[in-house]
Amino acid sequence: MDWLEDELKQALGRKQPSPDFEARLIAAAGRRSVLRFPVLAMPRWLAAAAAVLVITGAGAGYRHHQGEAAKEQVMLAMRITGQKLNRIQMQMKGVRQ
Amino acid sequence: MKLTRTLVLTWATACALCTILWAQQFQFNLDHLAAKASDSVDVSLNSGMLQFAGKFLDGKDPDEAQVKKLISRLEGIYIKSFEFKEEGVWSQADLDRVRNQLKAPEWSRIVGTTSAEDKETLEVHVRNQNGKVTGVAILATGPKEFTVANIVGAVDLDSLADLGGHFGLPSMEKGTEPQKKKK
Repeated sequence: MDWLEDELKQALGRKQPSPDFEARLIAAAGRRSVLRFPVLAMPRWLAAAAAVLVITGAGAGYRHHQGEAAKEQVMLAMRITGQKLNRIQMQMKGVRQ
Repeated sequence: MKLTRTLVLTWATACALCTILWAQQFQFNLDHLAAKASDSVDVSLNSGMLQFAGKFLDGKDPDEAQVKKLISRLEGIYIKSFEFKEEGVWSQADLDRVRNQLKAPEWSRIVGTTSAEDKETLEVHVRNQNGKVTGVAILATGPKEFTVANIVGAVDLDSLADLGGHFGLPSMEKGTEPQKKKK
């Protein structure tokens, strides 16, 4: 079994990395982070502009929603008023006949 | 410090109440009915909200165009409408409390109908200031219903009557005789 122990010792033994290993590792890590988060590569002004656009869009959407709700309220109010006036008309017609 | 805060809060509340009362021409005092109602509608639109809503009304749609024209001269629409599952939920005192505010010389009742058969009461009151109509009040009650509406502003009665011709309802005749009662 000596040969096996020798093989294992050789395979698992501590080895010194090559002198340029650290530089290559840092370079590779840098490349990977850029690839993983492409947004980080965007200029800051572009990110700010995107944020402004999103906020403006959300504001406009909310305003539109509020307007539609107000419109629905107006239409509901007119429907109720119209129904009541119509009932008055019907009752008065009944009186005439 | 605490007193100042209380005073500021009281003042703010009073201002808010004044704004509501100023916008609305009479008090409804019907909040106690809301809890007992099976269906309730509460519309409260001031001048700003009406103008805002007007921008979203489609001028090409006949109904919406008519409403848009009508609300352009209004300063507010306030409606409270309740429907109940049982009879006798609202009392005569509730109606009287509203009706007692609609007194001469400011207010005059132009139409009032009572149906003994359906136990329904319908009234239209108009508010006049310097010979101009500045508001309309509509009271509609039935055994299981209580509706009060206040339309504030230079209400064109012809246009208001035309409302009856919208939403699939027949048009209300103009020049109807006031104060007709059916008993």
